[in-house]
This record gives sequence, structure tokens and C-alpha cells, in this order.
Amino acid sequence: MRRLILIVLILHISVLCYAYAEDTQKRIVSLAPNMTEILFALGLGDRIVGVTSYCDHPEEAKEKPKVGGMSNPSLEAVISLKPDLVVMTTDGNPMEFEERLRSLKIKTYVFEAKRIAELPRGIRDLGKALGVRERAEAFAQVFEASLKRFGLAKREIAGSKPASQWKVIFIVWPEPLIVAGPGTVIDDALTIVGGDNIAAKSQIAYPKYSIEEVIRRSPDVIIIGRGMQDTDIEKISAGLLKRLKSVPAVKNKRVFYVSDDLYRLGPRTIRGIEEISRLVDWQR
Amino acid sequence: MKIGIFLFILLFVLVLALSLFLGPTLINPFAADETTREILLSVRAPRVVVAALMGMALGASGAVLQGILRNPLADPYILGISSGASLTAALGILGGMTFLGAFTIPVLAFIGAVVTGSLVGVMGWKRGGLWPERLLLAGVGLSFLFSSLLMLIMSISTDEGIRKAMLWIFGDLSMSEWSRVPYGLAFILAGIILSSVKAKALNALILGDEFAHSLGFAPHTERFILFISIGLMTAASVSLGGMIGFIGLLVPHMIRFFVGSDGRTLIPASAFVGGSLLCVADLISRSVLPPMELPAGIITALIGSPYFLYLLRRKNVLGL
Repeated sequence: MRRLILIVLILHISVLCYAYAEDTQKRIVSLAPNMTEILFALGLGDRIVGVTSYCDHPEEAKEKPKVGGMSNPSLEAVISLKPDLVVMTTDGNPMEFEERLRSLKIKTYVFEAKRIAELPRGIRDLGKALGVRERAEAFAQVFEASLKRFGLAKREIAGSKPASQWKVIFIVWPEPLIVAGPGTVIDDALTIVGGDNIAAKSQIAYPKYSIEEVIRRSPDVIIIGRGMQDTDIEKISAGLLKRLKSVPAVKNKRVFYVSDDLYRLGPRTIRGIEEISRLVDWQR
Repeated sequence: MKIGIFLFILLFVLVLALSLFLGPTLINPFAADETTREILLSVRAPRVVVAALMGMALGASGAVLQGILRNPLADPYILGISSGASLTAALGILGGMTFLGAFTIPVLAFIGAVVTGSLVGVMGWKRGGLWPERLLLAGVGLSFLFSSLLMLIMSISTDEGIRKAMLWIFGDLSMSEWSRVPYGLAFILAGIILSSVKAKALNALILGDEFAHSLGFAPHTERFILFISIGLMTAASVSLGGMIGFIGLLVPHMIRFFVGSDGRTLIPASAFVGGSLLCVADLISRSVLPPMELPAGIITALIGSPYFLYLLRRKNVLGL
């Protein structure tokens, strides 16, 4: 009997602790645009009390108080929001800032997933820490299922091995030419749809790329990211495309402009992969 | 002295040829397929020409400026012309302006440079002429003002935007196109010819206004004409490819070490060596980490500063 009481008591306490954990994270500050999107997707939007000035998705995020940029958030602004938890990422937030917050006894959660394949696990861990395990699990499962769909489609159409891969370059900015290189969500997405990123072996994630190398590697497809919505990317890239006129992609009119869905690892990533997968028949 | 100039021209031509055919991949002009030929003619050639023009402008205007300011530390950027150009260019880049298509940023930079140059001229003007100390201080003051404005707009823009603007400011030759060459060529050639014609006056000005006056030169008029030539060259250079540091400061000192400080050889020689140096720097910047490119301005400073310090120890370069 005594043991039973003890078990009941322990159960009670752990349930209380769990509820407490959930309760204490009522005020969340997000220091990265993709984290803001993920938190909203997990239904935690109303708990967010602060975001960065670049957090523009979803619409409601724009209404939240701003705490500065991703690389230079304001410590004062964060503190004054009295957060129970500050959500950060290793992809763009300075880790000194995280140390600073911890030394001020502010709890932090550092999201470590940077690549598409790492996202489901990252979301599950985040869900555990934030007490929304089920929602995170559902999110991760949908994400994994969508990824699998791409993989299956590829195999079904292409047989055992893709007969030929499309050489592709994803232009982040035309002038000076900056492209998506290795280790980026964009590079992952290109691989998933069956493209061969010609900049995949660069030294850094977003290198300033040699125009002469683009001509030499002659991509079949050029994808240009629209980036900020208010820039006239067609006009800005006109000069570059004129210089690349002999490249197969330009000759065969396979130059495409896409949204910024792939710029952030989060809920819109799948839509981004779908967008580029529709551009051409990658599994030719 | 004449032989000296020919040697510099020879070096210049040699470097031009080298930077055309060397690079991330070696190009053999006699066995080039269509792609290679296109790379050579429409990517490398305009780039090499633009680098040469910019380097020439910076070298020559450095030589003139150190003379009229009677200051061995002067370089074309000390007048704030480049800060003004960087500010307007960065505004254009960060604001996504496209009103003139591919020419938007170069034209914005040129406007910024010319406006700043005129402001420096107005500030440096007193009692019917330009005064070296006033010009220098006005340039330094405006330079600080524009740099801080530049920092201000950079600090309120996105990380992505900052990188784009930074790459331009550090000198970006990758967008060099034939269509930009005629404008650059016109301004830079005009500047070099104008200052070479006035080289004798420059020689006299270095020795002091009274001395120049006694030799039959009107110091204020001559200084004004030389100032215009520097403005033309620097503005055109910044607008072609951003800020390339160190050439304007280093090259004239190098040349003085070899051929002395007579403006008649100093100015053209500085132009040719400046052009060669920037071509070499650009060659290195696109060849060390292919397919990635580094900003050429970093390379000029990296090869320039040690050599400059070496010269400083070797000989008294401070004597103009």
C-alpha cells in the first residue's frame, strides 16, 4: 500500500513537473526567422513575445515586438521582454549571445538542424523541450512523408539510376554573382529533386562565384531566387543572363525565378522543394 | 628616362597578356573551343581591360595628388571620393534600384564620386583658389561623414544585403563588361592626358606656390586643373569596380624609387604600373580558390603593404 502511494505520488509529481515545464515557457523569444516559422507551425505563436526584424513569416510574426537582427540581437530588448525561453539556431546566431543569456539565468534552446535531413529530428527534440511533443511528431511525420514522396517519385521514373542529371545552378544574387553552395538547404533540395548543383564543391556555403566557371560548367537549368519581395530580380539579373547567353539553360529558356521558400529550413521547405521540382522534368 | 617608360609599357602589355590567358584555368588561344573562346573574349578580356583602366587611373591620380597636396600619404581615396561613391552605390544595391538596368550601380557610384569631389573642392576653396591643407582636411572630414552614413545604412540592412554591398565596396571586377569600357576609358584617358600635360606645373607646385609662381605658373589655376583630372579618374575608377585600396598610395612611391619624381615620367609610369598591379591582383583573386572569387582590393593591399614597408626601410620614400 505504501509503495502504491509512493508510485502515485511520483506519478503526480512528474505530471506536475511536466505541466510546470509547459507553464514556465509562456514567453518565448525567437532569434531566427526559421525558428519563428517553426514555432508558429507548432502552434506556439501566441507564446512568442519577441522576434528578429527579419521574421516576416507568417504574417502574424510581423506584429511581434522586434529584438534586432539575427547576428546582432539586442540583449536589452531580449531581457526586457522577460522571456522564459530564448530559441536560437547555430545557423546565424552568435553563440556568445547564448552564453551571455545563460549567464543572466535566461533559459535558451539552441536548434541545431541545418540540413533538410536533420529537420524532422530537430523538430521532435524541440517539441519535447517545449511540451508539444505530439504536434512536433505530426509535423515531423508529414515532413518525412513528403520527403519520401520525392525520393519514390525519383526512383519510379528514373528506374534504378538517373540516366542523366540536370546540371543546375541556384543564383542567390546576380550582381555580384552569389550562388548556393554546399551545406545549404537549397543544395539539399536540388539533390532531392534530381539536379546536380554545379557549385556543390565550393569552399563556402554562399560563394561569390566565377562567371567564367559558370560558362565552362554550362548548367542546363538556372534558378534565380527572388529574395526580398520588393526587388525587381528580372531586371537585376538581365545583365548576368546576357553574359551567360551561350549557356544551355539560357539558350533553351530554362531560367526560372523562384520564391524564398528554400532560404529557410522550416515549414515552407517542402513547398520550396515542390516548387523547384515542378520547373523541369528532373527525372528525364 | 624614356627607356624607363618603355620598360613599364612592356611590363604592362606582358601582364595584360598573362592575366588574359592564366587564371582558374589556363587558356591556350590557339586551341580554344567555342566555350573557351567566349570565356576569353566576353568574360576575361573586358575584365582585364577594366582592371587595367582602374589601376591606371588610381596610379596616375595618386601620383598627381601626392604632388598637389604635398603629402606622401595622400591617395585618391583620401579626398572622400570613394566614400561618397560607396555610399550611393550601397544605397542602390541595398535598395534594389534598377532604373538604368546594368548601369544603375556604376552610374550611382559615379554621381556619388562627382558630388563628393565637388564638395571637397568647395570646402577647399578660399581666396580664389584651392589650398592643399584645406583640400586634405575637407576630404578627410567628408570621408568620415560618408563612411559613418554607410555604416549606418549597413547596420540597418539584412545580413544578405550587407554581403552584397561589401563585395562591391571591396572592389568587384566580376561584372566587367565591354559596354562599360568606353565610358571608363573616356574619363580615365582624359584625366591621364590632362595631368600629363600639366606635369611640369605639378613639378613646380611640389616645390611651393611661390616657387611655381616665379617659374611662371599660376598655382591656383594649375592646381584646380589637376584636381579636376584626379576627380575624373577616381570617379570613373570607383564606378567601374568599387574601391581598390593601396594602388594610389603605393605605386607612385614605387615609381619614384625607380625613376625619380619628375611628373613627366612619374604620371605615365604610375599609370602603367598601377594598371599592371591591379591586373595581377585580379588574376590572383580569381585563381587562388576557384571557382570562388576574392575581392581584388584585398589582394592589392596584401601584396602592396609588405612591399611598401620594405621600400620605407630601404630608402627615404617620404622625400617627394
